Amino acid sequence: MNIGKCWRFSDDEQPPYPTIELNVSSADRNAAISPKVDTGFNGSLAIGIEVVKKLRLTPAGTVLVKTAAGNREVPVYALNLSQPDLGITYATLAIGTERSLVGRKILNDRTWLLDCKEERFCIIAQTKMS
Amino acid sequence: MRYALKWQICHMRNVTMMMKPFFEAVRAFKSGPFSSTDLVKRLGYASGYVRNFLSQATREGLLVPEPRVGKREKIFRANPRVVRDIVRRGGKDKEELLNAIGLRSKYFGEYVALDGFEVIDHDQDLYRLGERVFSNREAPGRIVVTNVGVPKKIITVEV
Repeated sequence: MNIGKCWRFSDDEQPPYPTIELNVSSADRNAAISPKVDTGFNGSLAIGIEVVKKLRLTPAGTVLVKTAAGNREVPVYALNLSQPDLGITYATLAIGTERSLVGRKILNDRTWLLDCKEERFCIIAQTKMS
Repeated sequence: MRYALKWQICHMRNVTMMMKPFFEAVRAFKSGPFSSTDLVKRLGYASGYVRNFLSQATREGLLVPEPRVGKREKIFRANPRVVRDIVRRGGKDKEELLNAIGLRSKYFGEYVALDGFEVIDHDQDLYRLGERVFSNREAPGRIVVTNVGVPKKIITVEV
């Protein structure tokens, strides 16, 4: 197992939770964010109000999403997303939520190490099949 | 302060009251032209009501009057900018509007990208649609994306 880039857990809640650093940008602004890794989220990115304000985004529409409390309508924002360690750069839609989240669409097709003991979330660069 | 609040409540009530005939007009004429006579004939409204609606809806920017040609009756169209505003606001008005445009029967369960009343693209996958529509930096800010009915590929967030 070849451990690649690791990101520290965030301890702004207990127990600490895994995060990934991402760069997001609008037409004239950019920001580095550390959204919570949420494997229960089947989208790519959800952004909180502070990111919306920082990038001065206006909604590109509204969509219905399914939450634990039922279906809810949320705003969607068009932005550019990049993560050099994952080799991704593309324009995408992010949904507006209370806090920023990174979902399975970004995590998929990669192998990850969730190391709760060392409080790190890492990408596995290579795996050897036994 | 109290006057401002009263005015705002009154204004909101007027806009809400206007939405029903506005959606009816969109249902009947889509983005096409119509006159007050057309509204009376097609929707069965009283002419006084139609006159009030047309003047208020024009003032509020829901309708756009076309330049009058000679002595012909004044012609109106639904303002395409309203689509963007309503979709961004969401809620019941959005559902009503998408119904009135006639998208529900054609795109139910999908996501659509709208430029005014025109569907410029659609997909069952929101992200595929977003990539196609917004990867072009020149994509105009007036384009909006939304779901029609409950999406077949709904986004799930466990929050």
